[in-house]
Amino acid sequence: MPTKNKEKEIEKLQEILKDLKTIEGIIGYILRSPNSASIDLKDPTKVIDYAILSTTAFEAGQEMSNTFEIGETETIVLEGEGIKALSMIIGDNRLSVFMENSVDHEKLCKDLNLA
Amino acid sequence: MSKDVYAVALKSALTEIEKICPDVSCSFIFTKDGTIVAGDSEANEEKMEKTVRSFQSIAEKAEGIGGLQALLINGEKGNVHLSRINGMYLTLATSKNADTTLLHSVTRVIFPTLLKLLENVTPTPLHQAPSKQLIVDTLSGFFVGDSVQIDLEILGQWSQLLNRKSLDEVEIETFSGKIAKCNVKEINDPKLKGKGIIRMPEKVCKTLEVQNGELVKVKPTQLEET
Repeated sequence: MPTKNKEKEIEKLQEILKDLKTIEGIIGYILRSPNSASIDLKDPTKVIDYAILSTTAFEAGQEMSNTFEIGETETIVLEGEGIKALSMIIGDNRLSVFMENSVDHEKLCKDLNLA
Repeated sequence: MSKDVYAVALKSALTEIEKICPDVSCSFIFTKDGTIVAGDSEANEEKMEKTVRSFQSIAEKAEGIGGLQALLINGEKGNVHLSRINGMYLTLATSKNADTTLLHSVTRVIFPTLLKLLENVTPTPLHQAPSKQLIVDTLSGFFVGDSVQIDLEILGQWSQLLNRKSLDEVEIETFSGKIAKCNVKEINDPKLKGKGIIRMPEKVCKTLEVQNGELVKVKPTQLEET
């Protein structure tokens, strides 16, 4: 993808993420691009825990995709007690959104895929 | 029901689930510590072990979200679902457009019910009655018989614990390690009740090489597990 398009893609994604934070139940997100990372979490003390979890989810998710031969990983949903995380690859970007279990992550996924 | 029978029952259940959910291509179940309990014919050992390793790497880091309850991986050509059910993890590999409503029924209704059912038909292990330390009181005479005598209160406690109407036999162990099984009765001399003693015929004392006033460990004999 040409650099200009990539920049536009990130800009659009960041716009969506700005709106995302206003949705009830969204706790925050971690976005990793090839050259940068942006983190926005309501509770800053969780940054390290969530960043490690996000990275591990992408790695283990791809491992499992290989094991079961289901192709490239599109999304990973981790559900915990009260909190869940949606991780997805959008172009060159790896995004993890943390939210309360009540949030409709499938709708969120559709919105983000439009970025 | 032994562990093997439990695993066979689960394996059959997984196979049946695949029959009602043709979208499921592979399924298996494992415990949190990584022990694989059962898998269908498609779940080979290598596949299951790799999955457990990947799962555990995430689970270790999922404390921040309150522990891992479920994991869903959407791939280009299919999905992998891991759901925590009654302390175990059910893994289902499905086609891309699998019927999610049916899958939810399997993971949230059918399988939990099945696991509960299997747990209920598994007999609970026999309770171990605690042994008591009692003081030997030698019984002598022509009519003492072979039975030892213990307080009715102790016999009652053991009966209750083992869910048995009455106790007929006890196992006596000396501190030198000698063991003997004897018939048991309640102490018939009211003056000796509640004193923490075991009245033992001389013959039994000789067999066990114990004397009056020595301590022995006494417990009811366990019924064989059926």
